[in-house]
This record gives sequence, C-alpha cells and structure tokens, in this order.
Amino acid sequence: MAIDILLTLLTVVFSLMVVFSKKTVVAAFSLLMTLLVIAMIYFQLGTVFLSAVQVLVNAGAIAILFVFVMMLINLEQFQNNREKSKWKLIVSTLTMLVLLGVFALVINNNIEALSVVNLTDNSMKTLFAKLFDVYYLPFEMATVLLLASIVASIVITSHDKAEKLEEK
Amino acid sequence: MLEAAIEILLKTVVILALPLGALPLIIHVERRGAAFMQKRLGPNRVGPFGLLQPLADVAKFMFKEEVHPTHVKPFFYTAAPVVALVVALLPLACIPVAGPIEAFGRTIFPEVFRSDMGIFFAFAVSALGSYGILLAGWASNNKYSMLGALRACAQMVSYELSLSTSVVAMIFVYGTNDIHQMISSQTGYWFGVIPQWGFFYQPVAAMLFLVGIFAESNRLPFDLAEGESEIVAGYHLEYSSMKFALFFMAEYIHMIALSALFIIMFFGGYSLLPGFDLIAGNNPALIVVLQVASLVIKVALMIWFFVWVRWTLPRFRYDQLMNLGWERLLPLGIANLIVTVLFVYFRNR
Repeated sequence: MAIDILLTLLTVVFSLMVVFSKKTVVAAFSLLMTLLVIAMIYFQLGTVFLSAVQVLVNAGAIAILFVFVMMLINLEQFQNNREKSKWKLIVSTLTMLVLLGVFALVINNNIEALSVVNLTDNSMKTLFAKLFDVYYLPFEMATVLLLASIVASIVITSHDKAEKLEEK
Repeated sequence: MLEAAIEILLKTVVILALPLGALPLIIHVERRGAAFMQKRLGPNRVGPFGLLQPLADVAKFMFKEEVHPTHVKPFFYTAAPVVALVVALLPLACIPVAGPIEAFGRTIFPEVFRSDMGIFFAFAVSALGSYGILLAGWASNNKYSMLGALRACAQMVSYELSLSTSVVAMIFVYGTNDIHQMISSQTGYWFGVIPQWGFFYQPVAAMLFLVGIFAESNRLPFDLAEGESEIVAGYHLEYSSMKFALFFMAEYIHMIALSALFIIMFFGGYSLLPGFDLIAGNNPALIVVLQVASLVIKVALMIWFFVWVRWTLPRFRYDQLMNLGWERLLPLGIANLIVTVLFVYFRNR
C-alpha cells in the first residue's frame, strides 16, 4: 500500500516537473522518469509484460528520441518562451472543461470498457484478446489521440515554414 | 516473508558478485589477449602472469585525485556513471545460472527475478543502456563528449531494431518467453552428438544478434562513441579516477549480460556442454555445478570472441555503420522474421 502511494506521488511530481521545469532537458528527463514510474506501477500490479513493453517502447525508444533531439539542438535559448496570451487562456480553459465533462460522464455512466481494468492477468494471449474485444473503444480512442497529435505537429512545423517564407 | 526476503538477498549478492568478481580477470584477459595478438608480452610484472595487475589498477583508481571540471552540469555529471553501471547490472537479474533446483522441499530458481516474461524484461532494461552515455556526454558540456554521446545513442537505437527482430524470431521458434523453457528446448541432441542449440535453427538471427551486441556494448568495430583518433575519448572524456572506472565496469558488465542473453537464446544457456552429461550422471548436485560451469565456460568463450574481434576488425566509418544497420541488417532481420513466422505457422497448423 505504502509503495502504491509513493509511486503515485512520484508520477504526479515528475509529470508536474515535465510541464513546469524551465530547462528543457530536465523536462525531458522528468518525462523519462514519469514513464519509468508508470512502468513500476504496472510491475506492482503484476503485469510484467506491460511494464516491460512500457520500458522498451516508451522509455527505451520514444523518450530517448526526445532527449536526443533536445541535446542535439540545445534548446536553452527557448527556456522562457512562455508568453501569455488571451487565446491560450481561452483554449486551455475550454479543453479543461471538456476533459472534466468527459470524466464526469465516465464516472456517472458505468461504461463497461471504461471501468476499472483488471490488470493482474500475466498471459499475453488473454491480454490481447481483451484489448481487441472489451477494450476496443479506448484502444481506438488512443489511436485517434495519436492522429490528432500528428496533425498538431504538422500544423506547428508548417506554420514556422510559412512565416519564414513571408520574411523572405 | 522473511525467508523469501533472505532468498532474494542471497541471490542478489551472488548474481552481483559473479560478474563483478570476474571483471578483473576479464580485463586481464583483454589486455593479455591484445598483447598476444600483437606479438608482445602485455602486463606480466605484477604477481604470477601479471594476474595482480587489475588489483593494482583498482588501487590506482581509488587513490587517484578526482578532477572535477568546473564547466560541467554537476547533478547530471555525477549521476551519469551511476546510471550507466546500474542499468548495465539490471538485465543480470533474470539470467538463470542453473536449472531449477529441488532443495529444502521446494523449487528454487537460481535467478533474482523469476518471471515467464524474463527475456522481455532483460531486453527492456538493456534498452535503457544509452541513457548513461547520453547523460555523460551532455553533462560534460564539451563538444567531443557530446559528439561521442550522440554517436553512441544513434548507433544503439539503430542496432536495437535488428537485434529485436532476431529476438522476436527466436521467441516464435521456441513458442515461449520463459528463459527456462527456452533452454530446456535446446537440451537434446541430433545423432547423439550435435546439440540442438538455437544457433542451428536460426543462424541468420544469431548473426544479427551477434552484430547487435557488439553495437549495443560499444565494442570495436562499433566503438565510434570513443573513437580516440577522432573525438579523443568520447563521452567519458571529462571523467577521471573512480567515475571513469564505473563507465569501464559498465561496459564490461554490459558485455557479460548481453553475452549471457546470446548464449541463452542461441547456445543453450546453462544446458550442459557435450560430454558433461556423461560426467554428471544422475547426481542432482553435480548437475547444478556442471550447469554453472557450462554457462561460465560459454560466457568466457564469448568474452574471448569479443577480444578477438577487437584486434581483428578496424573501426567502421560513421556512414558505413548507418548503412550496415539500416540498409543491410534491418531488411535482413525483417525478411528472416517473416520466413520464420510463416514456417512456424504452417508447422503448427
């Protein structure tokens, strides 16, 4: 029990550090630590496979690319670019409200696929059978989220390009 | 509860003591082996055959003044060697040194962390190996170190892919993730002489894995991270005395762990060497001793192979390294994986 609380606290602390740390490399390492602590939580729940995949894919491959890029281009000049604008405030408030609404929906309506997940099964076969059967909706929602982030990254980078063209 | 805790503690001590105790010997073999291949004598003055030279080196590292450069990032600079060593030690947790032992009325598994996902765990934690090097290079705040770290990182990420394809192919061949089951399916013999090792089922996967472990442990011909003639000493340029020794130890322990994994997947792990089963007979205690001996002999041969390759092949150029990884090994690995999966599918139908 104590270890569960400790791990949860660590996850929260490291996630907050990802958002609020001023140094980009420190933020990247906090992201790595968040991913590792989540892997530890999976481990604590008895799913060695999930925790190994979390470490292998997220911590070992994805986070290393973040750290790699941040070290390569030395982002220290962007340390304090947290400009405050009205639009940012409005958009973030809207997002917060939508998220809260979704949470309220999930808690009030007992959707089967979004209920408490029983993770104690260690066998891969049953895990994937469940993933493609009961938890199909969350699984697909995660892919939609990934698609959204891909679109967002394209928008951000192409915006820069357009500005540079205007300067020329 | 207490019994289990004591058991895990004892196992941890033994698993840590074996490779750490073998380290001085390995370093000695490396130096004498290098000398042997270059037709010189090597360190032979301290003790019989120069065997005490590593101890003298340790004493030197301990008492040397530690230079702490002022331009480094202190926290990450100090953390990097520790991260490197700890991450190198982690995969050893699930490598069994012998088969399950029936003693004190129950079955004891001679590995620290027993899981039927052992092989996944080992590869997951060894994938973190590049963080120590990356941290060291960045925290040193020095262009040579940074270049070395970036090279090491790019190389490890690239070769991890072809290494993983060979691991997945082997998991399909054995049909299990459990290390003990993998080894027990390699214990038989063909015609009574040739052991049924994974190497004979999957020579291509074995080759990919072998190249992968050379790249993962940053050994020649893949030691671009250090490349003395180009970037001085790479990521550990700013480190001296015991901090440097930690990186040194991490490299050798990484070698031992990856060799052990290679042997588990392709050369029968702790299964007895041909001829040992005649000595062992049905004596369970003797079988365990010979199993440990078999594993140690196999790992020792692998370490000798590392030394041999080091003084045989020159260092790759960076573009050659990337071409080999992405254009040769990865397509080969994927093709091998597809053929293996199809074969296993039609065999099991």
